[in-house]
Amino acid sequence: MANVFSSIGEWVSDRAPNLAPTYRKHMTEYYAPKNFNLWYYFGSLALLVLVNQIVTGIFLTMNYDPSAAGAFDSVQYIMRDVEWGWLIRYMHTTGASLFFVVIYLHMFRGIMYGSYKKPRELVWLLGMLIFLVLMAEAFMGYVLPWGNMSFWGAKVIVSLFGTIPVIGGTLVEWIMGDFLPADATLNRFFALHVIALPLVLLLLVVLHLAALHEVGSNNPDGVEIKKGPKGNRWDALKPADGIPFHPYYTVKDLVGVGLFLAIAAFIIFFQPTLGGWFLEHDNSIAANNLVTPTQIKPVWYFTAFYAIVRMIPSALGTAVWGVLGMFGSIALLFLLPWIDAGKVKSVRYRGTGYKVALTMFVLAFLGLVMIGTDYTDVLFPKLFGSDIDITAWDNAFGRVMTLIYFGFFVFLWLYTHLGWEKTKPVPERVTTHD
Amino acid sequence: MANEVVDPGRRRFLTATTAVVGGVGVVAAVVPFIKSWEPSARAKAAGAPVTQSLKKIEPGQQLIVAWRSLPVFIVNRSPSQLAALPKQDPRLVDPGSNGTSSDQQPKYAQNATRSIKPEWLVMVGICTHLGCVPDYVGEMKAEPFDPNWQGGYYCPCHHSRYDMAGRVYQGVPAPKNMVIPPYHFIDDTTVQIGVDPQGAA
Amino acid sequence: MIKRYISTIALALGLLLGTTAVMADEGPELPSAGTNLRDQASLQRGAHLFFNYCVGCHSLKYVRYERIADDLGLSEQDVMQNLNFTDAKFGDTVISHMPPDDAQKFFGKAPPDLSLEVSAKGPDWVFAYLNGFYLDPKSPIGWNNTILPNAAMPFPLWELQGQQIAVMKPAKSGEDPQIDKLTLLHPGRLTPEQYQQATRDLTNFLEYVSEPAALQRRHYGIWVVLFLLAFTFLAYLLKKEYWKDVH
Repeated sequence: MANVFSSIGEWVSDRAPNLAPTYRKHMTEYYAPKNFNLWYYFGSLALLVLVNQIVTGIFLTMNYDPSAAGAFDSVQYIMRDVEWGWLIRYMHTTGASLFFVVIYLHMFRGIMYGSYKKPRELVWLLGMLIFLVLMAEAFMGYVLPWGNMSFWGAKVIVSLFGTIPVIGGTLVEWIMGDFLPADATLNRFFALHVIALPLVLLLLVVLHLAALHEVGSNNPDGVEIKKGPKGNRWDALKPADGIPFHPYYTVKDLVGVGLFLAIAAFIIFFQPTLGGWFLEHDNSIAANNLVTPTQIKPVWYFTAFYAIVRMIPSALGTAVWGVLGMFGSIALLFLLPWIDAGKVKSVRYRGTGYKVALTMFVLAFLGLVMIGTDYTDVLFPKLFGSDIDITAWDNAFGRVMTLIYFGFFVFLWLYTHLGWEKTKPVPERVTTHD
Repeated sequence: MANEVVDPGRRRFLTATTAVVGGVGVVAAVVPFIKSWEPSARAKAAGAPVTQSLKKIEPGQQLIVAWRSLPVFIVNRSPSQLAALPKQDPRLVDPGSNGTSSDQQPKYAQNATRSIKPEWLVMVGICTHLGCVPDYVGEMKAEPFDPNWQGGYYCPCHHSRYDMAGRVYQGVPAPKNMVIPPYHFIDDTTVQIGVDPQGAA
Repeated sequence: MIKRYISTIALALGLLLGTTAVMADEGPELPSAGTNLRDQASLQRGAHLFFNYCVGCHSLKYVRYERIADDLGLSEQDVMQNLNFTDAKFGDTVISHMPPDDAQKFFGKAPPDLSLEVSAKGPDWVFAYLNGFYLDPKSPIGWNNTILPNAAMPFPLWELQGQQIAVMKPAKSGEDPQIDKLTLLHPGRLTPEQYQQATRDLTNFLEYVSEPAALQRRHYGIWVVLFLLAFTFLAYLLKKEYWKDVH
């Protein structure tokens, strides 16, 4: 048996001599810093969720009907008549939300430990592109069940483009292929969701990983292990603080995968709607172009950016400012490697100002999520009495959060470009905290 | 952590155990995806038994009804067509339907006419070669494909031929007689396809 | 290290339960319907109520008779004789007796399909709605509802519950009068407690109908989660073993 395998191996390597070295380069001879902590699980978990979305998505397309007349019914057909269809759909819907949980934590890790800084700017840019495509992918996927929230979500989000001066109206009709979200809209969103965007996403993920493996992984200390001493127990010329990705990080990631899947399974089997956060109640009503749901809001993972649209008032007769604000809030993340000129990567050794600013930034993001999901409408009356003017409180709170969000980038630029930051000494080598 | 002793046996054991348990998990996860390809509740409902009245089918006429999306031929065989059946035996592959075609009909239709009542043929009209639907050629007259034709079925795809009981002739591509579905008579003029007669399951 | 994992799980589960509890709080406070999908007898009673009082106007267009029989532990005969009063086949979905055009004429609005009513509104809403009908001379159909004011639906369960009337709060000047509570004017065939139980059963049945898979997913879920936790534990041992190499 072993003979058969080794001769097949030889047969393959005769014809593709670079295959085995490529595997080694990315797995057994990819030396990752040995001090990864909890935050470093989310990269591999994102890959896991991507695979889950692709596999369950392929099986959903087998029974889904991408037409305005049939889409809603076909989802119920999957939920009731197809053997195990409910499991496949819940894996897909839960996966979509967990994708964003994982990606947001992954991005926060990158910000916290300065993983976007030189020499990893390209890794960061590719990652941000993945995030952008993922948002488009999630939005179009959300429209496909053709519930009332799908319909009105599509209408509102597409209308964002209508705020663009001069061409806005024409652009909206062009995107929808009709005057309202309709058959044509659903058909093109389906095509983009199931084939076009996943292809782009896969390509970007490959590039993201390839770019990472060129420069090597960052770590919680923000120390470049390649610049440190050489020689470890596997290779005399490789960084002393590096360990082979396989088997050490593959087995470690396996622990994260197991735990993540257990949590995901808990949601899928016991709380698939997660009380309306992952699957909204109003989407159990079929799309109806005459009746708007009582509360129109995107799914939680878009709400931070969507809240910014709501918080910026219209001016000079156009609502484009809110939309610019929303796109700006994402564009600023792209520019982070150049906004932040700090000499030190990891938050562990950065100045107090940075630590405060980062905390504020995270709180502002969560605050915007709360505003966007209308959670504040429940929370504020409980905290401050039921007779307050909720809209005024929402606006005041939301505008402060928006200012803090943008303020983070302004502060970071001033703080690092004008040399205000007082950093702590960075150790020569990585520290382990186990 | 630094001074712990590496135990290769324990390492091998844990690797194998984790791999096996993980493998079991993957297999278990694959099962729902495979099962999702089975006929859905809707398909099964559409495949429910079909009831058909026989009142308007004249001798020598054929009616086609759909059962589980399959074409089911219901033929009222005329006395002359019935009389021609035994004469075909020498030219057939399995005239008694007890050789290669013994699984092609329920036990209660494993007889000379392959039916419950001699005149009524109820048969899934799918050629046993590659699944085409054979043409009903009921008249007993010389045909281009057989100068001595005694009525039966002719498959346009690869020229397989069957007699008036769906029994396949020798020398054609099709290997077996056509399938007789489970069916029973609710009364003298009503047949139900998809359900065995009482006590005959 | 292991402590950290445990605290992470605890945190994640806490967040899950917390958000769920918070979301359930939204909207006006409604009394809990107290439904229980594991109570098969309740589901059966609810099915009987639905097919005796509701299906005349409301369909369950995604639900098959056969599925109801399978999930509620009923035989084909039970369902076809006691629940199905149309000529629908066992494998067919539940279509109401009333043609939609007629319904539109009678009520000005076609009665909605109830397959997903509980998914959309929640069990507490449905329960409160079924308990919120009262006589209202101002309404064209004679009935009104506290949960869905000016509902176009007459109240077919009145012979069970009886007839309620609204007791108004002392009106403040310049404000519309508010309903304080409902009281029973003429009792029906059931006592108030029996009626509450009947509507709880009906709500339970509608909850089942809005997601029949809920019965299966709870059945399998516990084993899947336990298996994955066991796998995680094994993977953790494996990780510790390999990481003895890392100094």
